[in-house]
Amino acid sequence: MTFDLTLSAADLLLLLPEIFLTCWLCVVLIVDFSCPRLPHTRLAHLSVGGLAITLLGLAWFDVTGVSGTLFNNMFVLDRMAIFFKMFVVGSTALVILTSMQYVNRFTFFRGEYYFLVTMSALGMMFMVSANDLLSLFVSIEFSTLGFYILVGYLREDLTSNEAGLKFFVLGVFAAGLLAYGISLVYGETGKLVFSDMTPPATPGAMIGFLLIFAALGFKIGAVPFHSWIPDTYHGAPTPVTAFLSIAPKGAAFAILIRLFLVVLAAFKPVWVLLLVAVSILSMTYGNIVAIAQRNIKRLLAYSGIAQVGNVLIGLAAGTKMGSDAILFYLLTYLFANIGAFAVVIAVGQAIGSEEIDDYSGLNRRSPFLAFAMLLFLLSLAGVPPLAGFIGKLYIFIAAVREGLYTLIVVGLINIVISMYYYLVVVKKMYINEPIDPSPVSVSGPMKAVVYIGLAGTLAIGIYPQPVIEWVVNATLMFSHVMGPAAGVVPSPSPFGG
Amino acid sequence: MSEHLLLYILFAPFAGALALIFVPNSRPLLVRSVAVVSSFVSLVASIYLFYAYDAGRGGFQFVQKFPWSTELGIALHLGVDGIGVPLVLASAILLFAGVFVSWHITDRTKEFYIWLLILAAATIGVFMSLDLFFLYFFYEMSVIPMYLLLGMWGSHTKKYLEMTDPEGLKLRDSVGFIFNFGANSKEYAAMKLVLFLSAFAVVALMGILLIYKYAGLNTFDILVLREQAHLMNIPVLGTTLDKIIWILVFFGFASIAPIWPLHSWSPVGHAAAPAATSMLHAGVLMKLGHFSIIRVAFEILPETTRELMPIAAVLCVFSIIYGGLVAFYANDTKYVIGYSSSSHMGYVFLGMAALNYISLSGAVIYMFAHAMATGMLFAMAGWVYDQTHTRDLPSLGGLSNKMPFIAGCFVVGCMASIGMPGTVNFIAEIMIIVGSWNKYPLQVIVAVLGIVLTLAYLFNMMRAVFYGPMSQKYSHTRDAVATVDRLPLLVMIAVSIGFGLFPVRLYDVVRSGVDPLVAKITYVMPVAKNDEGTDGGRDDRAKASATIPLSGTADVSRPPVTYALRDSQ
Repeated sequence: MTFDLTLSAADLLLLLPEIFLTCWLCVVLIVDFSCPRLPHTRLAHLSVGGLAITLLGLAWFDVTGVSGTLFNNMFVLDRMAIFFKMFVVGSTALVILTSMQYVNRFTFFRGEYYFLVTMSALGMMFMVSANDLLSLFVSIEFSTLGFYILVGYLREDLTSNEAGLKFFVLGVFAAGLLAYGISLVYGETGKLVFSDMTPPATPGAMIGFLLIFAALGFKIGAVPFHSWIPDTYHGAPTPVTAFLSIAPKGAAFAILIRLFLVVLAAFKPVWVLLLVAVSILSMTYGNIVAIAQRNIKRLLAYSGIAQVGNVLIGLAAGTKMGSDAILFYLLTYLFANIGAFAVVIAVGQAIGSEEIDDYSGLNRRSPFLAFAMLLFLLSLAGVPPLAGFIGKLYIFIAAVREGLYTLIVVGLINIVISMYYYLVVVKKMYINEPIDPSPVSVSGPMKAVVYIGLAGTLAIGIYPQPVIEWVVNATLMFSHVMGPAAGVVPSPSPFGG
Repeated sequence: MSEHLLLYILFAPFAGALALIFVPNSRPLLVRSVAVVSSFVSLVASIYLFYAYDAGRGGFQFVQKFPWSTELGIALHLGVDGIGVPLVLASAILLFAGVFVSWHITDRTKEFYIWLLILAAATIGVFMSLDLFFLYFFYEMSVIPMYLLLGMWGSHTKKYLEMTDPEGLKLRDSVGFIFNFGANSKEYAAMKLVLFLSAFAVVALMGILLIYKYAGLNTFDILVLREQAHLMNIPVLGTTLDKIIWILVFFGFASIAPIWPLHSWSPVGHAAAPAATSMLHAGVLMKLGHFSIIRVAFEILPETTRELMPIAAVLCVFSIIYGGLVAFYANDTKYVIGYSSSSHMGYVFLGMAALNYISLSGAVIYMFAHAMATGMLFAMAGWVYDQTHTRDLPSLGGLSNKMPFIAGCFVVGCMASIGMPGTVNFIAEIMIIVGSWNKYPLQVIVAVLGIVLTLAYLFNMMRAVFYGPMSQKYSHTRDAVATVDRLPLLVMIAVSIGFGLFPVRLYDVVRSGVDPLVAKITYVMPVAKNDEGTDGGRDDRAKASATIPLSGTADVSRPPVTYALRDSQ
């Protein structure tokens, strides 16, 4: 096998967002080193500016339809990759905006914080373009490297240290699984590029793919690979938790979609069973355990596990519509989750607590934050007219077309369960009286993030058609792979009649 | 103007809620004015709708269709038929009345009106949706405002207020454990209501998704689905698919109605809610259940409806008797009215189960009539609670001296609730009873006994609240004197008695909606999927001719009832 590494200027265009962001990262780092007296918020503005330019560039790519592959198909830029890049870059920019006040808590290395966040985003941008087992491994580890540091960023805080250690040990373990899985798959197929692979139905290849799935399951936090999530989310600095709960999930789902719909398309009857099991476990476990949580970050962590279970329903459908639904759902999840975390950070700044009990009477202390949190939580629960409702319905429609009735029934039951714990928070905020009625103030950037979250949650919920068109166009390449209800192998529909 | 009429009715409250976000809470009068204006626009438009609806032509009118998502096959498809029109009108009247009933709310006035307007707009949205998706969308949307209205402005039962935790602390004061729900506290009521309604809403959603999948038309449009969906005779799980869908849709929506074994959330919710919310809840929210069953199950699965609707005929007996008996023994003003509401909803199910022109029209008119009657009762129970701060029947009494106007209205409310001639409830009840007699004589006897029971508990409550010796602690209570306090009651009384004396317009409108539906259900035969040639065809014809006498009797029975209506004028 030979690698053709000659690049033309036209090829470089495909890499332009990554190249630009890399240069910008260096600028951020150099500015940080050379001007030590510069307030760190300037660096934040600089990073957000760079991300915004990248976002605009990606939007321009999307509009003009730039696409292609590089390095012998190792790197692919298609509309789905552009969608997920915009997802990652957008969420990163929002995370940085929410961090600006929080960074004051760090005693050292305030400037590097922004560098690390943006660097992780860069890694995830490569991740969503990975079309090859090697670039998959390298980009996953590249993005996780930043997170290892970020999770333990509160050096004096023991829970943050614990979170960092836990995340690191389990993350390295997952990396080991991934590497081992890749070696098995390569051994069986002799190929690295996804689209060239025709995996045989041998135990070695199956175990290899299972190991890769386990590693990606670790990234998205699906049961049974979730054990790191609660403690890590709890201990990590809250903006990092927000980042961790959104961007890596999106990037990992991009890989999962490619893996299941391209490489393993012929094995759909087999992996449907796996995904159904994982999805049911994630939804049920996440929602039931979330009921008992008293810390809002842990609650959102468990709710995130359940949300991932919902997204996996779309993957289990295994159709183009299923992948549309995943993209759509992740977008609704982005707005609701970043908004919810922004409120958590704002409240945490003001009252210094993340316990749900301390949210008592938030409506009297800050009607704006309480109302925003209400809408974000209800969107996560899937209540109309909010985005989350359309997302859930989209996923269910995709699944019902494939006849996955068991999954839909479990998913619907879980909506009701999740309604309970979200409403417990709503009860605290709205019904209970505050212990300390002093008003809660919100800083400017935080307000901006909350407004963006609200706008996204409401706009997508009330008129989703533009976004639906976008995600439908983003996954057009899968309409050739398999149309709705027309898998390579006829679906046995083992679930219900 | 008139082609966008439904949009005005639907979006006026939404616009009001949106405008209220920008009104500061420090100006309560402005807040109330915005609420009044938006609900008044909605009311005027729906009165115009009621009289502009062409009952001679029938069918869905004022239809609006806006594409919403082509990929999912969803359109904002609005339209009303003779069943939707009176319910839209009832919602608008109760919203208008509710805005005035809540005039004295001072705690977070703005938020209260925002959620009240959203609640009412969502229920109105269900009554005009011709798209399964939007029907569910608005249905589910009405649940969350209920939670906040109950939780933030509701009231606890006496039992809850007297409960203490092991340390002797009053339970309502103990902050701490995340659940913190005492029995029958308002938090408990709100959570129970939301979980119950959501749980059964997703049951209905499952049915809707199955319709969507098996119709295979990639649309949620009810008008398309009722013409083109072939859901019959698909064997599933030992029965047929249409039966499963019907059961899912029926019980999913019947829980909000609330039918007997699924009713327990409802009286608890009524009791905890502030007056205006109880009015909307009992007045129109519960009708969402019946209406959605008619819209989804009756329209799309007419054959299955004919086959399975006897289930409702059985359950309605329990609804009527159980609700009535509990109301009789309840010691809480709002519990009495709440259980009476769930008992009275049994009559609607009886009328729906009998499935002929008279009984189904009676059921629809009953929904309208009950909205007015129960709205009045809840408004007055709310007034009494605001004045005395208790809902406990034994501790009340003798209030008629202090509040003669309320006491007088209460008598009218009781009369309407019982179905005295002169109120629209009488017409509805008599139609349900006459229409159902041929098919379900036993149920009709129970229903008549239920009226006696209603008489007993309402008069019992009237005596306990307004007559007898008055406790000294109520000497400061006052009557509804101001116009804003009297207006809502007078509006509802006027509507109830007005349509009681002149029911022809209401009757015509309802019949124009009911007739095609009943004709469809009683005449349409199942389409045999495997046509076995001439034999099957002959069989079909034979069955079709067998059904004609049944509907014939329904037609024959039409004139006497019309006479009865004229007599009542």
